[in-house]
Formats: sequence, C-alpha cells, structure tokens
Amino acid sequence: MIEETPRQHYNDKQKDTIFHGEFMPHINSMYNFAYRLTMDSDDAKDLLQDTYLKAYRFIDSFQQGTNAKAWLFRILKNSFINDYRKKSKEPSKVDYQEVESFYNSEDVDRQITPDLRVEALQDMIGDEISDALNSLDVDFKTVIILADLEEFKYDEMAKILDIPIGTVRSRLHRARNLLKEKLSEYAKKMGYKNA
Amino acid sequence: MLQSILDGEATPQQKEHFLKHHLEECMPCYKNYHLELKIKELLKTKCTGGCPEEVANNIKQQIKSAQ
Repeated sequence: MIEETPRQHYNDKQKDTIFHGEFMPHINSMYNFAYRLTMDSDDAKDLLQDTYLKAYRFIDSFQQGTNAKAWLFRILKNSFINDYRKKSKEPSKVDYQEVESFYNSEDVDRQITPDLRVEALQDMIGDEISDALNSLDVDFKTVIILADLEEFKYDEMAKILDIPIGTVRSRLHRARNLLKEKLSEYAKKMGYKNA
Repeated sequence: MLQSILDGEATPQQKEHFLKHHLEECMPCYKNYHLELKIKELLKTKCTGGCPEEVANNIKQQIKSAQ
C-alpha cells in the first residue's frame, strides 16, 4: 500500500514538524474527501483518524518536502477501499469497458450539452450540484473531487488511484458527462415547476 | 482537448489555439467549455465544507499519545 521509497529515519521532533507542517494543513480537503466517500459524518471522522494515524506510523516512507497531499490522499483512498467500502452495496452496475468508448466520443458531449444551459446552472442556488456529485458512483465521484475540487494533475491522480493516466482521462470525461446529465435532469424539473 | 484545457494539462500552444481560434468556429465546443467552467465553479463554491474543529483536535491529540 505504501510506495517503496527510500526509508527515512526521522527523530520525534522531525516527525512532529512534518506531521503538523505538511500533513495537518490538508485536513479540510481530506475530511471533505472522506465525507464524500462514506456519505456519513461518523464514518468520515473514523476514516480520517485512521488515515492520519497511518500517515504518522508510516511517516518514514514519506520524503519530507514532497507531495504530501497526494501521499495522504492515497492512504485515505486505500483505507476507504479496505475498511469502509461496503462491498455488498456496490454490485458492479457500471460496465466500464462497454460504455467507455461511447462516453469518450466527442458526439456525446454534443448530445448532452443542448439540454443544459449555463443560465439553468446560475439558478441552481441550492444543493443541486452537491446532490448531483453524490449521485455518482464512487469511482466517478472520486475523479471529479480530485480534479475539480482538489486540483490534482492527471499523473498525481494516476498515482493516488493506482490506475493508468489514460484511465484517469476517460473516467473523468465519463464522470463529467454523467454530472451534466444529472444537472440536466434537475434543470428540467426546475423548468417544469416554473411553467 | 477541451478536458485537457480545463484540467490545465494542455500545452500553452494548444490552449491558445483552442481558446483564441477554435472556440470562435465551433459553437458546441464554445457552449461546452463555458458549461464546464460554470460546473467547476459551482463545485468549488458549493461542495467544500471543511473539517470540524473537534475532529482535527482529536487527531492531534491521538498523535501526541502515539509518540
């Protein structure tokens, strides 16, 4: 789970410095991610605690001054998969292989887009975007969070998620189209109410 | 291409060509680009909360005891 990097041997003071200076600053982002994954504030809290404890325990695997945020996110994501993801709740309803080529095509962008207008989005002052994000499957939700909320680059995302960069791109593309579809539904409902 | 631009993964030349030339010629791309920008803005403003203070303090406490 933890990458094979040359092990450091920090003393307690160094560990403290790294932990408070490089790990703790990301706690808001980490909490948000934990919450979106678990959809439960108690589980999010536990997941977050587990992650930071692991980060401290394995701190010698972390190279001081390198990308702490990506390193932490990777631990969190792995902890989620191992300990929190309710396997019974996730039968694979999404056949990634089959629909990938369809959803990657430029045509799909053109088909979905006409239904959704920027003006409709301006009117979404409530929880529409948050609900739309939550409605996505974990894997799609994750790439949106990492790319759009946390602004990770594709190669960082590839390392965090243990997938090829190509998969990052296609999954992101698909996730964005799904998000637009969902927002489109909301926009239609809003239009209907106003009619 | 549009996705690469949005994600900051395109080269400066690609970005310039896309934003200054392509968008003027291609309505679907123009629409889509602005749509995606708006969605990104919504995500950023409405989907970030932050860690409750007691949770953060709890973690700091746990680390202290782990030392």
